Amino acid sequence: MKITADTGSCVASGQCVLLAPGTFDQDEDAGTVVLLADEPADGEEDAVRQAELTCPAAAIRLSGA
Amino acid sequence: MTTTEETPRLPFARANALAIAPDYEALRRQAPISRVLSPAGDPAWLVTSYEEAKEIFRDKRFGRSHPAPEQASRISHAAVQDGPSGDFDTEEQEHKRMRRMLAPAFSAPRMRALGDRIAELTDRCLDDLQAAHDAHPGEPVDLTDFLAFPLPVLVICELLGVPYADREKFRGLSERIARMDGGEDAQAAMTEFKAYMTELADEKRADPQPDVISDMVAVQADDPTFTDDDLARMGAGLLFAGHETTSTRIAMGTLFLLSDTARRDRFAADPHGEVNRTVEEILRLTATSGTGLLRYAHEDVEVAGTRIMRGDAVLISSDAANRDATVFTDPDEFDPARTPNVHLAFGTGAHVCIGANLARTELRTVFPKLFGRFPGLRLAAGIDEIPVRVNRVAGGVDAVPVTW
Repeated sequence: MKITADTGSCVASGQCVLLAPGTFDQDEDAGTVVLLADEPADGEEDAVRQAELTCPAAAIRLSGA
Repeated sequence: MTTTEETPRLPFARANALAIAPDYEALRRQAPISRVLSPAGDPAWLVTSYEEAKEIFRDKRFGRSHPAPEQASRISHAAVQDGPSGDFDTEEQEHKRMRRMLAPAFSAPRMRALGDRIAELTDRCLDDLQAAHDAHPGEPVDLTDFLAFPLPVLVICELLGVPYADREKFRGLSERIARMDGGEDAQAAMTEFKAYMTELADEKRADPQPDVISDMVAVQADDPTFTDDDLARMGAGLLFAGHETTSTRIAMGTLFLLSDTARRDRFAADPHGEVNRTVEEILRLTATSGTGLLRYAHEDVEVAGTRIMRGDAVLISSDAANRDATVFTDPDEFDPARTPNVHLAFGTGAHVCIGANLARTELRTVFPKLFGRFPGLRLAAGIDEIPVRVNRVAGGVDAVPVTW
């Protein structure tokens, strides 16, 4: 599963970080999403799927199995 | 021939604190978007279906300002969510500025840093709960007095830099601005609330601290278009939103967990393992708004076959959308195993609640601590005896009598 995050449309809600803290972080100044890796951290596959679904700006995309 | 059926008027009555008004489902069965009257008696569209709620939340053609504010439908006589806010021509730009200014303070890294402090404050509240119980053995204790109200207030005071000692003052102001039936008084309370914030901002200007009001004052120094009135309104809004809403979720969440002993025992057996999913289910099910979230159409828009005209008021009921059976199986059931649980408790889109991380951090701290310390906690009244507040923007209950 590959993850992409669009910082341009990100509204800095930080919901992804609370769901999958090993995969996502937030920029301290702008609050926008920071991708820690382009695939889910160990044990965070479900959380990353949930992050894609809950992202208020639809800024997170998943591709592949 | 015209129909003689009356247009339903908000807010709808419900059976008890844990239930949602049955009118929402009745309306949703007919159409995703219905014609209603606001509590103030003006026409509005009410969105009760999940997909349409999500669509409108994310659609930039809907905003909080109105092209001709004096002609806009009024929602209630409260001083928040009562009618249009902001300037029609500059709304999007102003909103972006506000988000940019506040995003760092409410970000997940800041919340992680604040986590230990929230845990410490929660412990202190639970000590007070125990002390109240010990002072009058055998008598019920009101959880709202010792935990649901003070905890969010302690946290938001610290974050914003508001003195906790002023809590009775702003509690009174918050209650008055959010009353939908208080007539002129809500606006008078908003004026007082803004005066309080202006005074506080002056203090921060003279002596800046690491807090959100100091941050806003610093932004204002570089941006003269951010007026004193903007700052005061935003400060009052954050203080109101930061305690009233989370307070309601703690009270209602406790009611959900205590209303079914098996549910309480399951949670108390593994609070840390269950907490994240339980909190999401509490967020999904606690119906806290009597009206839904307000938007105005900025142009003519067609949604699900309904033609919404420029300037029309649209109330998006997250409470109703979160119980839409086409998205959530057995929507009225409390099911922490529900996955995915993509509820709309914080809204979605560009206006998604900026305090969502803060609320989640507080809720994820409070329930494991509460049930870790009092695993045998139980309600000291029947759920039907807990009075529901129907005249408040944030809904909620007046008391949660508990014992152990």
